[in-house]
Amino acid sequence: MSDDHDHEHHHHLRESETYYAARTKALESLFREKGLIGTDTVDRVINFFEHEMGPFNGAKVVAKAWTDPAFKGRLLADANKAIAELGMRDGIEGENLKVVENKPGTHNVVCCTLCSCWPWPLLGLPPYWFKDPVFRARIVREPRGVLSDFGVKLPDDHKIEIWDSSAQVRYFVIPERPAGTDGWDEEKLAALVSTEAMQGLGLATA
Amino acid sequence: MKVQHYLGGIENLGPVDVEKRVFVEPWEAQLFAVHTTMMGTGIWAWPDLRVLAESMNPLDYFKYRYYIKWLGGMCKFLVSRNYISDKELEEKTKYYLDNPEAKQPNAGDNDVTEKVIEYFYTGSNPYRDVAVNPIFKTGDTVRVKDMPPAAHTRLPGYLRNRTGIVETVYKGAYLYADNVPTDGICTAQPVYLVKFKTRDLWDDIPDKGDVLYNDFFEVYLEAA
Repeated sequence: MSDDHDHEHHHHLRESETYYAARTKALESLFREKGLIGTDTVDRVINFFEHEMGPFNGAKVVAKAWTDPAFKGRLLADANKAIAELGMRDGIEGENLKVVENKPGTHNVVCCTLCSCWPWPLLGLPPYWFKDPVFRARIVREPRGVLSDFGVKLPDDHKIEIWDSSAQVRYFVIPERPAGTDGWDEEKLAALVSTEAMQGLGLATA
Repeated sequence: MKVQHYLGGIENLGPVDVEKRVFVEPWEAQLFAVHTTMMGTGIWAWPDLRVLAESMNPLDYFKYRYYIKWLGGMCKFLVSRNYISDKELEEKTKYYLDNPEAKQPNAGDNDVTEKVIEYFYTGSNPYRDVAVNPIFKTGDTVRVKDMPPAAHTRLPGYLRNRTGIVETVYKGAYLYADNVPTDGICTAQPVYLVKFKTRDLWDDIPDKGDVLYNDFFEVYLEAA
């Protein structure tokens, strides 16, 4: 095998999922040997974002805001304080939350053109689309085209307000409450609210 | 100029990949957990990762999936700071390539786990409750400066040299980071929410009345 060929082969091996998985295992393994991580840390962290800090928190906040106008007022004024009323803790990537509200005629979308800033305490971790360079490039200039990629079509007279998270505030959207949900309880309402809707890339539908 | 600072507004990229999952391969969740361990125990912070992402070959930046970039960045950082050696990383990687079913060593410090979880709830608040005298007030017209290139910035390229209106002067001051080189955000300072009409940013888009808000550290703004 020539050196060139060998190099190509090596390069190819280093760009496979098998390689990334082995490299990641190697990292955790070295961390364990050096006492930088616990035997249960990885499982605990994954479990945490599945059950404690995830979009189910945001959906609960939206459902409460839909059913309690006074709470919604407090949420729009000081989100960190308002979510504490629901027994919800803020924290990493959510020390300074700001909630905005969709209304007839005004639709809000959130992005982070520089990286992937996202309100973790309310939504957990950002999905791939939010971090996609194509999303980040297009959302500020052609939001309707991007919404169409998400299957969302706004009425023609709707204005869009775009929030680019470039400093320290993390934005969160209350979608419009869908028609035909009068009298629904908060749990049933929360089930209508997707992660995408809470960043303005989806609508809540009943 | 670094392309990574100038993503906003790039045209002709085609459709967004609407992938709604957070992790698309199991190793990504494992890697993410190691990353948060590094954050929760003070080995690194977001700005360290951002410096690496912004120093990447821009074509590679577009080419590789999010967590593939993290993997490269984490390994590079850990070796450069002597937390691990390149040699042991290569050896261990080869071991797991040759033995994909091999288990992790039954060793470690389990006190780390709760420390990391507690860190998720405490975060690291950049807010500083100090007396500041903001230069601008709500309603002021401001121009965004075009800062010299830096290892790390929080100033999006598409807003440089643009003019907007101050919507909100946030209370107090915010510190961005003091552990990496930036373009002026290593000291606590006022932050402003500034409003732009997107039609003023790009005069060839349809006039729909859309607006864009961005938060700016004070050093990025001047009177217009």
